[in-house]
Amino acid sequence: MNPLCLMEDVRKTFRMGENSVEVLKGIDLTVERGEIAAIMGVSGSGKSTLMNLIGCLDVPTSGRYLFAGREVLGLADDSLSELRNANIGFVFQSFYLLPYATVLENVLLPSLYRERAKDGAEERAVELLRLIGLEERIHFRPNRLSGGEQQRVAICRALMNDPELLLADEPTGQLDSRTASEIMNLLVAMNERGKTVIIVTHDPAIAAYANRIIRIKDGVIVDEQAD
Amino acid sequence: MNRLIKILAQALQAVVALKLRTFFCVLSIAIGISAITIIVAATEGAYQKAFDIVASFGPDSILIVSGSEESRGIARREKTLTLADAEAIRSAFATAYMVVPMSRVRDTIISYKANRYSAPIIGSTSDYSLSWTWPVVEGSDFTQEDLKRLANVALLGHETMRELFGDENPVGKTIQVGRIPVQVVGVLLERGSSQGGGNMDNRVVMPITTVMKKFQNEPKYVQALRVRFEDQENLDIRVEELKGFLRVRHRLPDSEPNDFQIVSPKDIIKFLVALTGSLVAFVGIVGIISLVVAGFVLANLFHLSVRERTGEIGIRRSVGAKRRDILLQFLGEALIITTLGGLIGFVLGVAAAGLLQYVEAFPIHFSWKAFAIGLLLSWLVGVLFGLKPASQAADLEPIEAIRS
Ligand SMILES: Nc1ncnc2c1ncn2[C@@H]1O[C@H](COP(=O)(O)OP(=O)(O)OP(=O)(O)O)[C@@H](O)[C@H]1O
Ligand SMILES: [Mg+2]
Repeated sequence: MNPLCLMEDVRKTFRMGENSVEVLKGIDLTVERGEIAAIMGVSGSGKSTLMNLIGCLDVPTSGRYLFAGREVLGLADDSLSELRNANIGFVFQSFYLLPYATVLENVLLPSLYRERAKDGAEERAVELLRLIGLEERIHFRPNRLSGGEQQRVAICRALMNDPELLLADEPTGQLDSRTASEIMNLLVAMNERGKTVIIVTHDPAIAAYANRIIRIKDGVIVDEQAD
Repeated sequence: MNRLIKILAQALQAVVALKLRTFFCVLSIAIGISAITIIVAATEGAYQKAFDIVASFGPDSILIVSGSEESRGIARREKTLTLADAEAIRSAFATAYMVVPMSRVRDTIISYKANRYSAPIIGSTSDYSLSWTWPVVEGSDFTQEDLKRLANVALLGHETMRELFGDENPVGKTIQVGRIPVQVVGVLLERGSSQGGGNMDNRVVMPITTVMKKFQNEPKYVQALRVRFEDQENLDIRVEELKGFLRVRHRLPDSEPNDFQIVSPKDIIKFLVALTGSLVAFVGIVGIISLVVAGFVLANLFHLSVRERTGEIGIRRSVGAKRRDILLQFLGEALIITTLGGLIGFVLGVAAAGLLQYVEAFPIHFSWKAFAIGLLLSWLVGVLFGLKPASQAADLEPIEAIRS
């Protein structure tokens, strides 16, 4: 079976008016199904940029990127949306919950944009929230939840459409260390249930949860290690 | 379809949540739409009133009035039309099935026993009721015979009858008109004073021969001729023919203007519509300006909202919303808001029109048309001014939207 993600000489250049900056300068990367990996590097090294490319939120300027065997470069914007909707769940540092929607409605968000609506979306959302220990909060608005609870809701949302790949960009950046380890344990548990998980972090303690660390510096992968 | 409904539900939720934005947008749209509602209702009211008047005047009839157009403002018109003119028209125009001469005497004291009342006297032929499509409800119209005899008989307007007789049956009773005793032969149907402007129910109608001889001491001239044509569709042509015919009969040289005036149903409609026109124009300008202002209020508040909600747009895009979904959501929000504004504006318009009618009787008619035009205009504002901020939201790149 082909790897979930396969990058060959991926480059990303951002254009800002007159000048352009090459942020990723030739990335070769393979992510197998079922892995849990951490992307590390100093601030500005291009971690988030790489994660956005892996998650098809953005497309490489050049190179090759196969997601589940499918060429991403050249896909239309709508196809990228469909691909994200069906295959990828995102967790961000600032949770991005809709403030005016309830916890349940937030978790249901990805199901709205499904190509083929499936029955039982609400049951699944409630089940996910129950699994994570928030079933009593399903009708709360996010502002009544703690940071850790909000991030757990965001993880439920990422899992809503049962994606293969879970991407987390500094998921514990706004949380204290105890809550952070709760969140990390949750991501590890998801990996054990079969999800491929990639976590962006600059905290070695967080990276320790992964079984593979991808270090990035000045736009290239400098050193890969697996334990 | 299912997806569209879900997206509109999201839009509705945002409209409910962002109360301040919703309030100001709805308020400004409602003001504009209420003005538009009033215009449409007033225009419709004016037309309806005009057509009501034409219907009671008779859509197949014209009125020829003595005196040139220039003498219009002058209280006493010169008299130029004669009973002979009436006869001549009757025999020259094959489709003129009714030619009725009329004379009018200004308010005259009328009394019955102790009751006194002042009313104008209208002199007419025996066909008065028929020629004005004005039914006689009690008694009967006077006859050709009455006309020949210069009989002292009268038809009473409804109000005159009520003032003089109360509940008593007036038919056959004798009243004093000026100094002359007159027998009541019939009563005309109540017309109501709002229609046609001015009171129509206070008149006393008598044979024109009697009026000319005994009240006006006038051997020859009448004030007006009313002509009804069988071929209503050719009315414009008949009017032109009549003008030529009367000019020849009155031996007017080409340099002289007409010494008579012809009023057709069209003229009545024109007059009434012009009367309402100025108000319509004023409210119309106010309405359109306030709608444009409302549009800019909406566009600006939505622009701010899109900027504030980049995170929301980003997360929606990252979970799989397409550009189209974002566009539809924001357009949906704009349309829900403007629909709400349109509905509230319609209610405000109805209320304001009620007030307007309370201050001054003004013909206003509400129908589905006023409602539909208001709603369509509010949707137009929603699409026109919501499109730019909505496409701005849709065009946000996902990575831009989640980079905080
Ligand atoms: N859309 C963009 N347009 C222009 N420049 C960008 C864009 N996105 C990222 N960059 C630049 O690319 C570089 C890498 O950014 P990126 O966000 O990937 O870094 P990072 O490793 O995630 O850093 P941090 O740890 O601070 O999150 C930075 O210099 C940033 O300014
Ligand atoms: Mg980053």
